[in-house]
Amino acid sequence: MKVFQVALGILAAIGGFVDIGDLVFNVAAGATFGYQLLWVVVIGVVGIIVYSEMCGRVAAVSGKAVFDAVRERLGFKVGLAALISAQVVNLLTLTAEIGGAAICLQLLSGLPYRWLIVLAGVALLVVVWVTTFEWIERIFGYCGLCLLVFAVAAVRLDPAWGAVGKGFVPSMNTESPLLYAFFVVGLLGAAMTPYEVYFYSSGAVEERWGPKDLGLNKANAMIGYGLGGFLSFSLMIVGGALFLGQGIEPEHIGTIALGAEVPLGQIGLLLALVGMLFAVSGAAIDTLFAGAYNLAQFLGWEWGRYRHPSGAPRFTVTWAVLLALAVALVLTGVDPVQLTEYAVISSAVALPLTYIPILLVANDRSYMREYVNGRLANILGLIYLVVIGIVSIAAVPLLILTNVGQN
Amino acid sequence: MSGSFDLGLALLDRQLLDSEGRRCGKVDDVALEGGPGDALEIAAILSGPPVLRRRAPLAGRLATLFSRDGRVRVPWGEVAEFGAHVKLRKPASEYGLGRGDDRLKKFIEKIPGKDR
Repeated sequence: MKVFQVALGILAAIGGFVDIGDLVFNVAAGATFGYQLLWVVVIGVVGIIVYSEMCGRVAAVSGKAVFDAVRERLGFKVGLAALISAQVVNLLTLTAEIGGAAICLQLLSGLPYRWLIVLAGVALLVVVWVTTFEWIERIFGYCGLCLLVFAVAAVRLDPAWGAVGKGFVPSMNTESPLLYAFFVVGLLGAAMTPYEVYFYSSGAVEERWGPKDLGLNKANAMIGYGLGGFLSFSLMIVGGALFLGQGIEPEHIGTIALGAEVPLGQIGLLLALVGMLFAVSGAAIDTLFAGAYNLAQFLGWEWGRYRHPSGAPRFTVTWAVLLALAVALVLTGVDPVQLTEYAVISSAVALPLTYIPILLVANDRSYMREYVNGRLANILGLIYLVVIGIVSIAAVPLLILTNVGQN
Repeated sequence: MSGSFDLGLALLDRQLLDSEGRRCGKVDDVALEGGPGDALEIAAILSGPPVLRRRAPLAGRLATLFSRDGRVRVPWGEVAEFGAHVKLRKPASEYGLGRGDDRLKKFIEKIPGKDR
């Protein structure tokens, strides 16, 4: 029974890994550089595994979530800067996910986009208010698994497997190294999106994980994110096999779904759209809660997924306000795909402020006791800190120099 | 509470939990007592937006605009235990902590949900 439960959790995690950032950046990277950038996904996935495991362990042993650690280690002032940057990135991401959900609904139903934005917002509000989180995870995770259609599509498209294999070895064969670098930053930002660790660590505290759950933590992080990375590979391979050299840029969500329709027909298209709808809606819920977790943890308010939302009043009001703000932003007519690019790049900028405090807390023996970081976690943690440091500094210049990946 | 520890690292900015395990603020500042030449002793924990104004004037002022919560002083003797969190001996309301949540609760409770 326990194995069964873990398996269910992992299935949900795979479905929940992919969000609009992964969809947009992986397919676009494939369309622009073929399979050349597959190695970046590996680096990104290992990075999110390293830091998620650390966050989960800190949460299980000390009961502290990410923004408890941020406030404690960075202090009020610097911590506030980290909070503001995290919240801005979160809101951009949330807006992009809701816009993405509305586009999927539009492609599925043919109804007007503006109505569907409002419908998506109201549906999210109702789902979160009346459904338990257990069910939210199941429904969105399992339906998100429809995205596996992209793995089937990748095989059906029969890509040059030798070239796919070569993509896992870093190399750069291009006349536009800046654009290449832009995609490296974007893919890392998409794989290591900070809201995932905010949500994961807060969830671990909510489920009252203790030291006995550390094995589960490791399995969740490694298998869940690892297999999620597998979906990212599929998306990039589809992008490369179908769009490379065709002059097609997946600048619309529908183009991404085309990746499943061309090799698999109508049923492929339907599965892709349903999978994308649930993946981005599930990500919207995670992002929404991540924003509320962060603020409540920073200010010391009660937080959590109570049976009734009045169990954590200010937390509830925070996510309701964030949802309303995001829906209003989508209604301004901003393009979700373009917004995704900005959201992912700005999350790359904010990464170090999230990960430095976690690394510090995971090394604090006073309450981590024998569960402090081992040598491997510290070596990997430090290497990734250097990587995200470089990514963070390079992100904005690359955004400007490549005109948001357009040249 | 004996022995030595780094106040800034081990106490400041920690989560406050009341006797029922409810999250009810952060250790926003610490009040120390002791005359010239004496050893300093921790007298109380301070919490609330007005306390933050001393640490970050601009952000603290913003916080006091948005929140009606005042400065709360919890005598050090009320601390039951402190480790990863700071646990207090009585429910939050007895110290005047967590008022913002209490005020909003009345409104949110009226909206039907999964369970009440």
